[in-house]
Amino acid sequence: MSTNTRIILICSGKGGVGKTTLTANLGIALARQGVQTAVLDADFGLRNLDLLLGLENRIIYTAQEVLEESCRLEQALVKHKQEPNLALLPAGNPRMLEWLKPDDMQRIVAMLTKEFEYVLIDCPAGVEDGFKNAVSAAKEAIVVTNPEVSAVRDADRVIGLLNTNQVKPIQLVLNRVRPKMMASQEMLSVEDVTDILALPLLGLVLEDEQVIVSTNRGEPLTLSGSDSPAARCYSNIAKRIQGEDIPLIDPSKEGTGITDKLRRLMQTKIF
Amino acid sequence: MSKSDQDIPTIKLNETHKDNLIYTLYEKLGSISSNRVNLNLHNLFLSCKIIREIIRTINKADINLNIVSSNIRETLVSLSALGYPTHLYLSNNQFSEIKSEKSGIIPNESDGSMVYFHQGTLRSGEDLEDDKDILLLGDINPGAKIKSAGNILIWGRLRGIAHAGSKGNKKSKIVALELRPLQLRIGSEIARGPEEKPQPGLAEEALIKSGKIIIQPANIRPFL
Repeated sequence: MSTNTRIILICSGKGGVGKTTLTANLGIALARQGVQTAVLDADFGLRNLDLLLGLENRIIYTAQEVLEESCRLEQALVKHKQEPNLALLPAGNPRMLEWLKPDDMQRIVAMLTKEFEYVLIDCPAGVEDGFKNAVSAAKEAIVVTNPEVSAVRDADRVIGLLNTNQVKPIQLVLNRVRPKMMASQEMLSVEDVTDILALPLLGLVLEDEQVIVSTNRGEPLTLSGSDSPAARCYSNIAKRIQGEDIPLIDPSKEGTGITDKLRRLMQTKIF
Repeated sequence: MSKSDQDIPTIKLNETHKDNLIYTLYEKLGSISSNRVNLNLHNLFLSCKIIREIIRTINKADINLNIVSSNIRETLVSLSALGYPTHLYLSNNQFSEIKSEKSGIIPNESDGSMVYFHQGTLRSGEDLEDDKDILLLGDINPGAKIKSAGNILIWGRLRGIAHAGSKGNKKSKIVALELRPLQLRIGSEIARGPEEKPQPGLAEEALIKSGKIIIQPANIRPFL
């Protein structure tokens, strides 16, 4: 299995665009499709991936202990409760920021490739040491960005750095798309973004309040099989990663159908 | 390609004709009865000077040039610059080559000076700097910067910062297929980019006129 393992870095440059949310949802969606998936939280200074997956209270060891050989890899891996195909490996302890080097990252990922078909690395924001560590182990990358000038600018910078690190292919996920704002040109359009970044678009994710709810609960949207807009987008992205040919959604046609309106009505809280 | 295009005969020239190019062309023109002709230049690496001679030879025989194809990008860039429609075709192994970045120094045939050539898009945070004229095949994204002591020619979109004549040459120019920079600098002059979008399909150049940086439709002769 080891040579075929896909090691995908999920990065963005700018913070808060949805790297961790995408990692958690993709991890669950891939696991639900029956592939052995590991998610590695490389953002260990400010780690949240465990929170989003609802696994915070199960972490006992981290990759740091594995590398120090004070525990085995199996002990550090946290299996997801409902999706046994998914395992989380926290890269380190938030209090020990200095220890991890690119070599360490490569060793951890090499260990994971023996057991898993997919390794998703949740990259920290920024382009400093944390990013360099995470990049050193990745083979391919997904760049997450929002339709905002600042997020696109940072994504562009990150793509340049990924290119110099020979990470490819690099694909793009455009997160937090608001069809109405795009239609009224208050927000960068899909074309505006792809025009600058010049990357193949892996998927769009619609803005969805349910994402916040699921984050706070520690249950990624893709886990519950929810039919919310973002959940559909995430599962489509997971299928596209697996090579399925699923057409991209057209933001101008989103939310206009009767079923969408009904769903929105039912999700509206009256009091 | 429409049917009428298919009826136009094609003259093929390649590397083996390099030494007596004009003579071979002249001979081949003799067998052409049409008044329009396509030219296939295969792998010939030609400068504007030779291309002008080729076109003169064809026109002397009362024939008009229709479309030129070649698999050498530089040849086609020269042809487009002279205003002729071109067609780039690639052999399979060239696709990987065109995607990858590369840079190098190529001679400028008109005055013997050297041009720094770079292929690939400059992304935010990336810098390119050289003392020679720079020819860039690709875009300059917002946040990227290009700097030359001479002229800058961008076969793509300029949306970052460009600084020509960085050592004080006020005659330097900045030319781009889409000139939409954040900031332009020529010599010690600095200007903000225009607010409005430029007209699509019109190459523009920036230069200093009476002490100010202005933008006008491009005249790329200094490079050829």
